[in-house]
Amino acid sequence: MKKFFSELSTNKKLAIFGFMLGLFALTAGNPYGGTSIKVNEKELALSTVGNSDKVLVTDLADWIIKAKADYELVDLRSEEKYSEYTIPNSQCIPIAQLPQSELFRNQKIVLFSDDNIDAAKAWFILKSKGYKGVYILDGGLDVWKEKVLFPKTPINGSEKEIAQFEKMKEVATYFGGQAQTDSSSTEIKQQISLPTTNLNSTQVTVPKGKKKKREGC
Amino acid sequence: MNAPFYKFNLFGFDVSLIIAFAIGIGFGFMLERGGFGSARILAAQFYLGNMRVLKVMFTAIVTAMLGIFYLSVIGYLDLSLIYVSNTYILPQVLGGLILGVGFVIGGYCPGTSMVAFSTGKIDGLVYVLGVAFGIFVFGEMFPMLEGFFNSTDLGKQTLPSFLGLSYGLVVFLVVVMAIGAFIAAEWSEKKFADRNPEKSI
Repeated sequence: MKKFFSELSTNKKLAIFGFMLGLFALTAGNPYGGTSIKVNEKELALSTVGNSDKVLVTDLADWIIKAKADYELVDLRSEEKYSEYTIPNSQCIPIAQLPQSELFRNQKIVLFSDDNIDAAKAWFILKSKGYKGVYILDGGLDVWKEKVLFPKTPINGSEKEIAQFEKMKEVATYFGGQAQTDSSSTEIKQQISLPTTNLNSTQVTVPKGKKKKREGC
Repeated sequence: MNAPFYKFNLFGFDVSLIIAFAIGIGFGFMLERGGFGSARILAAQFYLGNMRVLKVMFTAIVTAMLGIFYLSVIGYLDLSLIYVSNTYILPQVLGGLILGVGFVIGGYCPGTSMVAFSTGKIDGLVYVLGVAFGIFVFGEMFPMLEGFFNSTDLGKQTLPSFLGLSYGLVVFLVVVMAIGAFIAAEWSEKKFADRNPEKSI
């Protein structure tokens, strides 16, 4: 046996080695199995307490105006709601499709829905899949509308607050919204129609969120 | 640190280009050492007299497949992060035929034409210019071709998912297929030895 093996050419020895590896592969198990990630619950809990996993709507508005492009903005709502209104530069990935999405693990991902609940669920899904930079847009679209699209005049506000409001008025106009100068206009707010979604093609210079990264040869 | 390194952010985009350059140089060097800088050896593949291309390619496939499989099984490599391009069945069949015809006529594929050119072969240079011209024409015509280019999209297909077989079984079958191909290639090289350009060089 030993003599037979030593008489073989290197090519044949390598072929036998390859065949053995192939044969062993039959029982070696699923290659996708080894990649599941253990959830570090302590780390998750700490990032929630410190609010380090949240992005404020005003910060996001600032990023969009400054045309920052180092993050992916993900709208977790259904496609119908997405086509009605969404934040400029966002891509629509309904929460059920999130596990199959093409988001990369090394990307900074900002998630939002109407409120925080779905975004928090999605945050956990992605964290448990080993995504590193996942953030929640604090308050979701509800707070986005309230603070960015239709900000209200501060009642008896200090000078600083009023200056802040003046700035927000411009931001609201930028995103196609309108500041509410009359502080009692909560009912009117409901009637104001949301800006149309084609906003992002007219006002924002950044290309639309879905950047298809092409790879391969 | 787990693989793939780039997707786990071990290095940035700039460094990835340098690494790609180094890998490209290594790949070209290996192709040249394998004899792939000669159009006659490459074209002899189609006349069954010299099966070097088939042997090298199948060896590369089996080596990469076994490496990826076992590194994933032990949990070192995250297989779900390996890029799989979509399968567009009709455009890819047509593209494969065009590449094959060009391969028989010109004696090179795009990669080996670069290898031939870098070793100073004039036909390699002509081929590289032809590749560049083809890319230019394709780019200019792309709006007309785009519909066909994106047609018959089957999504991200792998052999295990397409055939419904376990990953390990597919690995085994490919290894068996490769060994069968090696045996057939050796036989064919003996049978059509008179067509082997290496004998006449």
